[in-house]
Amino acid sequence: MSYLEVKGIRKVYSQRIGTQTVEALKNVNFTVEAGEFVAIMGESGSGKTTLLNILAAIDKPTSGSVVLDGMELTRIKDSAISAFRRDNLGFVFQQFNLLDTFTIEDNIYLPLVLSGTDHKSMRARLTPIASRLGISAILRKYPYEVSGGQKQRAAVARALITNPKLILADEPTGALDSKSTDELLSMFTDVNSLGQTILMVTHSIKAASSAGRVLFIRDGEVFHQIYRGGDSNEQLYQKISDTLTLIAAGGDVK
Amino acid sequence: MKIGFYPKLAAVSIRKNKKMFAPFILTCVGMVMMFYIIMFLGVNGVSDDMIGAEFVRSMLQLGSWVIAVFSCIFLFYTNSFLMRRRKTEFGLYNILGMGKWSIGRILFWETLIEAAVSITTGLALGIALSKLAELGFVNVMRGQITYDLKVSPLAVIRTLEVFGVIFMLLLLNSIRQVRFASAVQLMRGENTGEKPPRANWLFGILGVLVLGCAYWIAVKINDPINAVMWFFAAVLMVIAGTYLLMISGSVMFCRLLQKNKRYYYKPNHFVSVSSMAFRMKRNGAGLASICILATMVLVMISSTTCLYFGEENAVNQRYPRDINIDFRFGELKGLSDDTAEAIRRDLQKMTADAGADESDVISYRAAYVSGLLLGDTVELDVRNVDSVGIDTMSNVWQFYFVPLSDFNSMVGEDISLGRDEALVCVYRGEFDGDTLSFNGGRSFNVKKYDGTKFEHGEGYILSQFMIVIVPDLEYATEGIAEMTDALDERMLRYRMKYNFNTELDADEEIALCDKINELLYSTPLDASYMEATYGAYASISSREENRQDFYGMFGTLFYIGIILSIVFILAAVLIIYYKQLSEGYEDQGRFDIMQRIGMTKREIKRNVNSQLLTVFFLPLSFAALHLLFAFPIISKLLMLFGLDNVALFAATTGISLCVFAVFYTIVYFVTASAYYKIVSGIGERA
Repeated sequence: MSYLEVKGIRKVYSQRIGTQTVEALKNVNFTVEAGEFVAIMGESGSGKTTLLNILAAIDKPTSGSVVLDGMELTRIKDSAISAFRRDNLGFVFQQFNLLDTFTIEDNIYLPLVLSGTDHKSMRARLTPIASRLGISAILRKYPYEVSGGQKQRAAVARALITNPKLILADEPTGALDSKSTDELLSMFTDVNSLGQTILMVTHSIKAASSAGRVLFIRDGEVFHQIYRGGDSNEQLYQKISDTLTLIAAGGDVK
Repeated sequence: MKIGFYPKLAAVSIRKNKKMFAPFILTCVGMVMMFYIIMFLGVNGVSDDMIGAEFVRSMLQLGSWVIAVFSCIFLFYTNSFLMRRRKTEFGLYNILGMGKWSIGRILFWETLIEAAVSITTGLALGIALSKLAELGFVNVMRGQITYDLKVSPLAVIRTLEVFGVIFMLLLLNSIRQVRFASAVQLMRGENTGEKPPRANWLFGILGVLVLGCAYWIAVKINDPINAVMWFFAAVLMVIAGTYLLMISGSVMFCRLLQKNKRYYYKPNHFVSVSSMAFRMKRNGAGLASICILATMVLVMISSTTCLYFGEENAVNQRYPRDINIDFRFGELKGLSDDTAEAIRRDLQKMTADAGADESDVISYRAAYVSGLLLGDTVELDVRNVDSVGIDTMSNVWQFYFVPLSDFNSMVGEDISLGRDEALVCVYRGEFDGDTLSFNGGRSFNVKKYDGTKFEHGEGYILSQFMIVIVPDLEYATEGIAEMTDALDERMLRYRMKYNFNTELDADEEIALCDKINELLYSTPLDASYMEATYGAYASISSREENRQDFYGMFGTLFYIGIILSIVFILAAVLIIYYKQLSEGYEDQGRFDIMQRIGMTKREIKRNVNSQLLTVFFLPLSFAALHLLFAFPIISKLLMLFGLDNVALFAATTGISLCVFAVFYTIVYFVTASAYYKIVSGIGERA
């Protein structure tokens, strides 16, 4: 059995007024093995965000199941879902989502504090992560005092500090300049090489080309996937680019 | 007719932002209404034949100006809230190609609409309610009621003038803000000041010191004269201290909590402490304003209701009997047994002639002087004291030397004393000495006597007060009788009191008073006691006549107290409302993030609740604390109005506080629900 199994996910939104329904996800199936770095690509409206919300247990699918390390996400009770999320999942968002009321350090501690970890062991966990991500010097600063790249690194640190089973990244490079993007992606590769499973939703080819596998979503279904195999980032970039051109042309990839 | 573009745009944006505008316009309406009503009462509500009409009128005038000034400050404050939220909108207009001049035109029309709506509605409501207000007013003054609705053109014009100017200033201020900001700055308007505050230790400590000092003054002062002198200083200090403390002290406090790692890194404290620290600086001023307003309301309501309900008490204190006569003499001879006898005899005759009986007579002679009581020595001449400070002032006593014979006949005792013995009754203050020595005069061996048995009938003594009963006035005052003060006036004075009740009704009583007055001065029956050499003069006052004065004065104060309280409460409620609203908008994003990271809704709600409660009830608890410390000094001030009833004041204070707290809690729940409405719906958005 795979580490993460997504089976037959369907999500239908119904309008508040009227009976019209929108089918965001039709039938999504894929699996992720432990230690993989998977990118999910798709145009806007393809259902990427819906899928990510379901994986993050923020939203529930209309039908289908998500199993993470043997746990069925859709069966977790509402009252336990938040605790599940902070213990098992790490999040990296496009807009960083750091709280402006906390210092960088406290922002990173937030999930640990919520699960009642004591200060000493929090510090012990933070020190290696901070030095690996190069943010040791800015821990005492507030989010408004640091650059976008630094904010995103802090957000990654926040995602890592709980030792999550899975990191979910939602357009992590969307708000970064190209230098910060490169840094972040190499950080992801680095973290992944230490065994961290990462699932990243993006529509940046560059971001996707640093992953080990790329899934393409179209019209609410997994439409295609590319394995890196032995390719370099540049080669993978080319493949992704070709695939996207094909999708845009409406063709079938087989 | 087609409405112009700008007015239309202005009208639309007011309608779109009605959540922000409605409370603002409501406040304007309220302020206009209050101003008109007070103005109207000042012009029309006071009839000339009312006793103390001048006083009442000037009090009302003062009240209306207080409202005007306060409206100005307060409308500026609320308008700044509006502007902060609307800057984004103006920035967008600006980027889309609308010049600053055009935005100015929109602002102009907006202000015009606001002004038109609030002034017309306010005036209409004011005129409609002015009759009611007048009825209420006349009622608290115990006057005659008429039943015609009047409109005072003068009050209308004044209202238009005052609020016209206020709105113009508001417009100019808004234009200034838009004028000097770039489009980008405008777009960011709502997010400015995102800097987390640093704790300012200096200001925080200063706040504590200033507040402590004010409290110390309020508690330490124990006579009314000093209370007046220090009251306003204390008020200013409390205001300054509250602002300093709330703005930086609260941040400081939160920072201290954050330093305590064990406390801070707990799920229940982590979020609330940090966001409180973050929020305090920006909202510290708002909290302090709420606190000050609440304190003002509480002080005003509790003291004016105390005066109003203590009217009878004050009248009785000041005028212990129906008819109160006070003779004053320049020399001791005026207090001779013969003179006293003659006075008593003649007064009895006059009363009998008027067909009345005297009862409950208070009649005694006294040589009186004020001085500093230091230990058991009395220093009459301040020039002999090295340093005079706030402490020295609290040692001021009044001393009444009363002949033993008068005392014995008043209390119905047969006490005898040696020449150097004195019977001492202490009224306000503490004295435990076995001897009492007057510097430059005699010393006495003191025997204590329960003061409540001897009714001195002096309602107007505000300092500490001691009656020294001696067998022989002349012997007892030897040495001090000739002392003079800096103005070369003799310090020791002489008086004789003669107060009594009659069974006459109010009008007859006033008539009797007039008659006695006339007789005393024009055709004395037996003029021997009024001989010029004694330097005598007499004052006579009837309780009935003065009662109406008291009602006029206290009634006006009560009424103005209520009106101003309503104004201040309105202001406090509005500040709270805007605070909650703007915090709600601010917090939306934060709650979103927290939930994504794995905070449960329940945790969020619990955090929010504890935060709201702290922030909300902090001003109330501080107001209660202020009130507690203000209690002693205000009860001293009330003595100036002749009210010496601490129990009554404690009752009105307690009731005011309770009523206010209930009201405040209601406002809390209403605004908190508005807040929840804004922040809720996180699940749907995610």
